[in-house]
Amino acid sequence: MWKFSLRRILIMIPQLFFLSLLIFVLAKMMPGDALSGQIDPNIDPARIEELRIQMGWYDPWHQQYAAWVGNLLQGDLGDSFRFKMPVTELIGQRIANSFWLSVATLIFTYLIAIPLGITSGRFNDTWKDQLITGYSYLGFATPLFIFALVMLWLFGFQLQWFPSSGSIEPGLEPGTFEYFMSKFYHLLLPALSMALITTFSTIQYLRNDIVDTKQKEFILTARAKGASESRVYNKHILRNSLLPIAAFLGFEITGLIGGSIFIETIFSYPGMGQLLIESISLRDYSVVTATTLLFGMASILGALLSDIILSIIDPRIRIK
Amino acid sequence: MGAKSVNVEVKSNVVKSPSGISVIWREIVKDKIALISLIFLVLVTAFVYGVSLVLDQKEIVKVDLFSIYEPPNDEFILGTDYGGRDVFGQLIIGTRNSLSIAILVTVMTGVIGIVYGLVSGYFGGHIDNIMMRILDFFMILPFTMIVIAFVAIIPKYSVWTFSLIMTAFLWMGLARLVRSRTLAEKELDYIQAAKTLGTSNIKIIFKHVLPNVSSLIIVSMTLSLAGNIGLESGLSFLGFGFPENTPSLGTLLSYARNPQVLEHRWWIWVPASVMILLLMLCVNNVGTALRRATDARQRRG
Amino acid sequence: MGFLKVEDLKVHFPIKGGLFGRTVGNVKAVDGVSFNLEKGKTYGLVGESGSGKSTTGRAIIGLNHITSGKVLFEDKDITGVRRAKTDIRKDIQMIFQDPYSSLNSKKRVIDLVAEPLRNFEKMTRKEERIRVQELLELVGLNPESVLKYPHEFSGGQRQRIGIARAVALKPKLIIADEPVSALDVSVQAQVLNFMKEIQNELDLTYLFISHDLGVIKHMCDQIGIMYKGRFVEEGTSQEIFNDPQHIYTKRLVAAIPEIDPKKREDLKRFRQEVNTEYEQAYNDYFDEEGLAYGLKPISDTHLVALPEKG
Repeated sequence: MWKFSLRRILIMIPQLFFLSLLIFVLAKMMPGDALSGQIDPNIDPARIEELRIQMGWYDPWHQQYAAWVGNLLQGDLGDSFRFKMPVTELIGQRIANSFWLSVATLIFTYLIAIPLGITSGRFNDTWKDQLITGYSYLGFATPLFIFALVMLWLFGFQLQWFPSSGSIEPGLEPGTFEYFMSKFYHLLLPALSMALITTFSTIQYLRNDIVDTKQKEFILTARAKGASESRVYNKHILRNSLLPIAAFLGFEITGLIGGSIFIETIFSYPGMGQLLIESISLRDYSVVTATTLLFGMASILGALLSDIILSIIDPRIRIK
Repeated sequence: MGAKSVNVEVKSNVVKSPSGISVIWREIVKDKIALISLIFLVLVTAFVYGVSLVLDQKEIVKVDLFSIYEPPNDEFILGTDYGGRDVFGQLIIGTRNSLSIAILVTVMTGVIGIVYGLVSGYFGGHIDNIMMRILDFFMILPFTMIVIAFVAIIPKYSVWTFSLIMTAFLWMGLARLVRSRTLAEKELDYIQAAKTLGTSNIKIIFKHVLPNVSSLIIVSMTLSLAGNIGLESGLSFLGFGFPENTPSLGTLLSYARNPQVLEHRWWIWVPASVMILLLMLCVNNVGTALRRATDARQRRG
Repeated sequence: MGFLKVEDLKVHFPIKGGLFGRTVGNVKAVDGVSFNLEKGKTYGLVGESGSGKSTTGRAIIGLNHITSGKVLFEDKDITGVRRAKTDIRKDIQMIFQDPYSSLNSKKRVIDLVAEPLRNFEKMTRKEERIRVQELLELVGLNPESVLKYPHEFSGGQRQRIGIARAVALKPKLIIADEPVSALDVSVQAQVLNFMKEIQNELDLTYLFISHDLGVIKHMCDQIGIMYKGRFVEEGTSQEIFNDPQHIYTKRLVAAIPEIDPKKREDLKRFRQEVNTEYEQAYNDYFDEEGLAYGLKPISDTHLVALPEKG
């Protein structure tokens, strides 16, 4: 296992390198530079040129890249020229919101998927199974953003059960119970909207895995030696089928990032996804670069996490 | 001469066996839902492409300030949007544009994915190893975000560049699928036999391996067509898809980002949503029927 | 002039392992095999599964990478010729074991049989069809079935399609890799006799690979017995079946069932002898790794892998 993990981490290094290179190229291609936001029209253009030379704007690209990575490693992501503050500080405010949204979505996803998947797999080809399969088929065919729009329209506007935008009621003191509850309340509808759609793959996986496992020899053996039906399911089948689900946790992160861009835009939830969209329309490119980089890194780490968990669960992968 | 004429006669009464296409066709006809879906798709496609030949796109996207946000009435079947533009017309043009780009992207990702997967799987070894590392990297990138970032910085932005960007980050699924089937397929004796018969690698790849993975490719491309409709409209919804003068279904939905529109002017966003849902659902239905047709164990008859 | 000469052929497959997938060892599938094949004769390669007999055949035709050694065909060095369009490809053909997987199921008979013709000979559509129909007739199939798919044929018929395809270019040598072991016993004899017929008709040389000694006895003039990638004994059919020297060969020969009831007592005695020798002296025939020793001649044609001493 250690050998596999080590090798997997070694693979990650070129991945991180190419990601940083890609983002660097993106950053270079973006119109304007760190100065264009700060420039006062009264400053002499010659002075700007001087500053640009000073900042290494005309250096060969590999030197610029090295300097850029060096800054990154020190946690310096540049300044946002719209909000006039360091990008790290700006992101710091948003990242917590996105993190909690993701956690809530994951919890809801599993809360929905596990009981439905188990029911569907255990009673396959009954009306219950058909109902659940139908739901997950619809989920498969429905784009997240349409579903989220409908949820917002129904529960946010028509029924007004949930707030339709923001992440917190204004004027609440951080740390109080009301503050916490308000956060949770704002989080609920976005997280549910996303979970209800993204959960279908987990349901389908669980169902098919249970249906497969049910016919394996060792289950027949367990039945043959007289284990009760619930014991067969809890002890033998679920142990086999639930573990891989845990391993997909890491891969879910990539999906969550894609989803959060839509969800945060639709529910005006101030997270990283919304920040990305906002900063693109504001042409705040240092923020765009930073968020893209962070999202990319999160995905790479997620895949790493999944692969390592999988290798712990399934020894066959290690041999590869 | 005599022998030859006999053989030519033989030609006419040789027994011809049913090909794979008829099996697929039979399966779709047998599955009523898939058949209805297919008919619906054909009708919608014919309608939107036919009508848009007559309809003038410029006329539809022209702003008319005297008829802003009109609910559905006799003049505008589905009302108008914030620029006084006819929603129904936009729906037709939008469906056509969305379908076109989804098909375009599906074909382009298909070509790249098939060739990449075939080459990687057939040659194996170090080539496969390196190609798979590259694929893994692309696979890991969060699609929506990276496309948005690219769209934002491309200076001369058009429908073509948009579909190229989408293609650049969407070919991996099919490539991986084709590769794993090719890996299994190339070990079979018929490939070895072709080698001993003097067939070149390129010919083996395209004339032997490709036909044998074709059913997999057809199914997977059909399903990704549905996915691409969703992805395109999603990106247009966020404002990173089509330019506004070429509306897509997502463009109509993007008006719903304005809470006013979402809450009070359903006629702008509901028809487009329903259209996207129906298109994706129908393409998926056809895709699943195709999957059954290609997998003999699941065939219904 | 030698027809086919194989000199010290070695085919090793690397085992990858460790942190960076380095080569940590080798599987020695074929480990130093030499033999000569005369024109118009049939040479049999016998051995259990995994003995390297198929790998030897595949290496000769260029399907497996040759680690070291030489293959000479009509005095030309053809070692490791892997390019598609060479004359060797025309002269050496192969018949595969599994008539189901060796025919591309998506292709019609005409495309299958015409594949080598299309690679090497420029023919018009009409000429090609006539040639294919001739070939089908030659192998005893209905020439009208050119537009059928392989799945519409029985195993024996499929193998005939495979043979038609192999002889399409009028090759000199055919490597037959277990050509009948996937077929029903009743069909096996048919196909074998048919192979003998076309051997005379088309002046073919066979390298016949099989694990079935009965089949080998029926087909071959010369025989090589393989075990773990090496030859343990080589000789004419007579020598191998009537005078086996190596314990491994003896056990193989003793295992052939005897149909004639009168000879059953003899066979039983022979089996007991072999068994006693096997229990007492088995280890003497192999080195510390359990591999056979080098071949030593005991007559002009008969070679046996006997230990260095004793």
